Amino acid sequence: MEFRRRNFIKFAVGGLGGTLLSPLPWKLIDDIAIWTQNWPWVSVPARGRFSTTNTVCTLCPGACGIEVGKVGSRAVKIEGRDDYPVNWGGICPLGMAGLQILYNEGIRWKAPMKGIGPRGSKEWKEISWAEAIHELATRIKRLRDRGEPEKLAAIDGNQSRSTMAVLIKRLLDAVGSPNYLSMPTQEDTHAMATFLMQGTKGPVAFDLENSDFVLSFGCGLLDGWGAPGRMLGVWREWAKDSSRNRAYLVQIEPRASNTASKADQWLAPLPGTEAALALGIAHVIIKEELYKKEFIEDHTFGFTNWFGANGVEHEGFSGIVLEKYAPQRVEDITGIKTSVIIEVARQFALARAPIALAGRGKGMLPGSLYEFMAVHALNALVGRVNKEGGVLVTNDIPLAQWSDLAYDPVAIGGLKKERVDRAGTPRYPFTKSLIHKFTEAIHESPRSPVDTLLICSANPAYTIPDSQRFIEAMAKVPCIVSFSPFMDETSLMADLILPDHTHLEKMVDIVWPTGIQYPLYALSRPVVGPLYRTRHSGDVIISLAKRIGGPVAGSFQWTCFEEALKERVRGLYDSGKGKTSYSESEPVWRGLATEVRLSSAYSSFKSMWEDLKENGCWYMPSHAFGKWSDAFQTPSKKFEFFSTNIEGALKAHSKGKSFDDALLHLGISSKGDEVYLPHYEEIRSRADEREYPLVLIPIELINLASGWIANSPFLQKTLFDHQLKRDDLFVEVNPKTASKYGLEEGSKVALRSPQGELKVRVHLFDGAMPDVIFIPFGLGHTAYDRYLRGRGVNPNEIIDQIEDPLGGHPVWWNTRVKMIKI
Amino acid sequence: MKNQEHTKATRYGMAIDLDKCTGCGVCVIACASENNVPVMYDESDKTRNISWMQVYILTNGSQFPHTKVIYIPRPCMQCDNPPCVPVCPATATRKDPNTGIVSQIYARCVGCRYCMAACPYHARDFNWFDPHFPEGTDRYLSPEVSPRTRGVVEKCTFCHHRLMRARTRAYREGRRDLREDEYIPACAQACPAKAITFGDLNNPGHTVSRLIKSPYVFRLLGRLGTEPKVYYISSEDWVRRMADNYLPGEFKGRG
Repeated sequence: MEFRRRNFIKFAVGGLGGTLLSPLPWKLIDDIAIWTQNWPWVSVPARGRFSTTNTVCTLCPGACGIEVGKVGSRAVKIEGRDDYPVNWGGICPLGMAGLQILYNEGIRWKAPMKGIGPRGSKEWKEISWAEAIHELATRIKRLRDRGEPEKLAAIDGNQSRSTMAVLIKRLLDAVGSPNYLSMPTQEDTHAMATFLMQGTKGPVAFDLENSDFVLSFGCGLLDGWGAPGRMLGVWREWAKDSSRNRAYLVQIEPRASNTASKADQWLAPLPGTEAALALGIAHVIIKEELYKKEFIEDHTFGFTNWFGANGVEHEGFSGIVLEKYAPQRVEDITGIKTSVIIEVARQFALARAPIALAGRGKGMLPGSLYEFMAVHALNALVGRVNKEGGVLVTNDIPLAQWSDLAYDPVAIGGLKKERVDRAGTPRYPFTKSLIHKFTEAIHESPRSPVDTLLICSANPAYTIPDSQRFIEAMAKVPCIVSFSPFMDETSLMADLILPDHTHLEKMVDIVWPTGIQYPLYALSRPVVGPLYRTRHSGDVIISLAKRIGGPVAGSFQWTCFEEALKERVRGLYDSGKGKTSYSESEPVWRGLATEVRLSSAYSSFKSMWEDLKENGCWYMPSHAFGKWSDAFQTPSKKFEFFSTNIEGALKAHSKGKSFDDALLHLGISSKGDEVYLPHYEEIRSRADEREYPLVLIPIELINLASGWIANSPFLQKTLFDHQLKRDDLFVEVNPKTASKYGLEEGSKVALRSPQGELKVRVHLFDGAMPDVIFIPFGLGHTAYDRYLRGRGVNPNEIIDQIEDPLGGHPVWWNTRVKMIKI
Repeated sequence: MKNQEHTKATRYGMAIDLDKCTGCGVCVIACASENNVPVMYDESDKTRNISWMQVYILTNGSQFPHTKVIYIPRPCMQCDNPPCVPVCPATATRKDPNTGIVSQIYARCVGCRYCMAACPYHARDFNWFDPHFPEGTDRYLSPEVSPRTRGVVEKCTFCHHRLMRARTRAYREGRRDLREDEYIPACAQACPAKAITFGDLNNPGHTVSRLIKSPYVFRLLGRLGTEPKVYYISSEDWVRRMADNYLPGEFKGRG
């Protein structure tokens, strides 16, 4: 064929048509798509055998049961367990994102480290475990040799009853230091209120599942309060249907939180006036005689007027409440309408199983003591103490005690010294530890009273109010030792880092998870082997004690942490009670009233131990409701409206000075018998209200981790862009307030308190109380990795700490600020 | 016609009870960790980040102290009449006639993003970058779901790999039908408030098919005719009104 133009075109067109009719082009598109997606840097997940391991999430003291899915030796997924009594099959966002805490290399210490160069220079040298323990032991030994064992201190974020906490406390005791500090939580305030009113030292227990009317004074029940898995399960039960059995929820807080929005009724009193509202409700209940007379007469002390030993007449709770907390007056204080107070009081008193809850947000920070007492007084008024659906009176879990410590003269001498934070002294008679006073003491003395500071499972440089002050104080401490597995703010200030395993690599326990109404012992176990050269802090403490030698070593006879823990668990076996398995079909809360005396099903301790490890729990699914004879351990053996313990403490404190001075010193502004009764204390900031006209309230969100465990990248996905945009944190401001300042959505402002300044953006939110600014906790890290560092700001930097009367914990929800448009 | 097509087949769907949903975000994280969803340094960049399940927040607009917020978790709506399918030039997305699930075949996707333009729910995300996992976290990646690459659109698959897993198990046991609880997407399993119910909409024995008959049921932008298989339940009128576009006075509440 001749090569001509026409033929050429024919050939080309034919060829094109032919190609298009063939699968070739489609195959090519497909192949190109595939070829362009095959890059060596795209991860290909390794295959392996699928398996699951049951354990317990120990990221918070909630202790939710989790099932970790594994492929080969890798953990790939976390799910909530429905065969675990606490959490109804659900877990919180942080627990769900747990694998990012385990595997995120950028936030973890991989080996023991020693700081070289000046502190804060972030220069580290990797050392061996033997070296690290030797170094610390030598330091502690030197303190003891010098007769100054009290210069060792520890800040511990482990749950107070857990074996880790008890072990660390034991180390300090054995060495001879009284300066063991636990990180403050809301449970501290609950413990104080329970002790003062009930005299009991057991954990606070709310039988929420069985309540039908919940009066929550600020608890973020659906915002991460308590064990979040449990609370969302309880919510499921409450919201199950719209039938008459549905629980009625009244939420009291100044912001339309998730809980307030889901509640049947939302009351927004002025911030800090919750106690007045509680007493206003009490007033209506007493005036209309809606209280449970039987309970009040038989089991309470100080309700009506009474005569003391010296013949002096004391005013009763009812008299003072009737006199001082009339709804009209409470309306003036709180801003809640009289009619609403009366209506809520009636509903509360007439409900079948009402409960009043004191607390704030997620419950990670302490509350106000008198307020907690005022709220708990409501439970007593309607007879809901130790009743189904109410607040249960509890005793501790029957764990075995370790053998007694061997104190040597050095230790005895050291333990006689006053604590640096003065908790437990007549100044703070009921408080366990006060980290802000500890900070202050170091700040104010020319030479730090602490030489070596151990920090476990805590990140105080980030999580405590006025964190800047803590950081400054730490600069004076000669040696800081961090046990943190994470490169958090506090461990970056340390001189020696002895990294712990993360929660999925170790066995630890949680004793009685927050707020649960029955005794439960939760035990986690390693799901994966240690990824790095980290070591269980419990094991490290034991090796350290051995290394210190002498009588200290004598108090730590165990070879490893597991052995120490097992020794305590033996007490559970010896009690002959309890269960280690759970079925969803028999929820514990349903059978609490029926007194089941469970005989142990275990032939030996060994078989129980194996089951405990496998299932992760031991619990007692019953409660002795009708038992009143030894329910209350107060001096009067009754539930005390009038706290004889406060009376005793005040007497001790006012020794050698006038009574009024003593009150002033303790921060109590009221006078007379009211001091010993639940009452409303106005907590005032020192800042001038004209200069700082707005109130700043930090808020805790369920999807923004704000405690020791930092927010993980997955959780950042759940934040809205009116909460965080690039590096800017948003604060919630009522549109009315914003218009006063000429602000729009997204405007940049500076928030200035006497403590400092933060730059944020404004989100206009109708649900925010006017003239109050709401700022989330959990962002603004200066440590960790690129995902977290520098995103947003940390409200703790500008929080004004006001000391709570009597309790002494810092009040963190009442900072006065001014807002400046920038 | 469309509905007749499927009367016999399985039609997987979801009912999300907004009265129960507390906006905790567990579904978002369960989804991301189940499906190897990458994480960006700046997750606040909502035009670039990837989240198959996205939670939206609505406010009732009332002034303090009558304000209320609710949350709307939004997976892929798995429409019966999916607008994304006909626009795909690479046949990378199609609706399975046997399950009603709208698939996304990453290896076929050429990244034209027509489907994203077509989807009225913003349920599809585009990989603007190579997938990124924080250093070391590629160790938790699941081999059941392939990680995607740059230039590919991805979306919720109702955890299709879980369906495959359940089917394999059923076949092994000699069954052809799945029980209700055998196949549940990660979000529904994880929801601590049990706000998400999943199952076969065509099977009267499944809870979800009963739930969607509630008078409080609605679908997002239902009037577009996309026939989503994700139903929402809310007893609040204002929520249902916000779910679609209405003329003033047009909305008839049932509350």
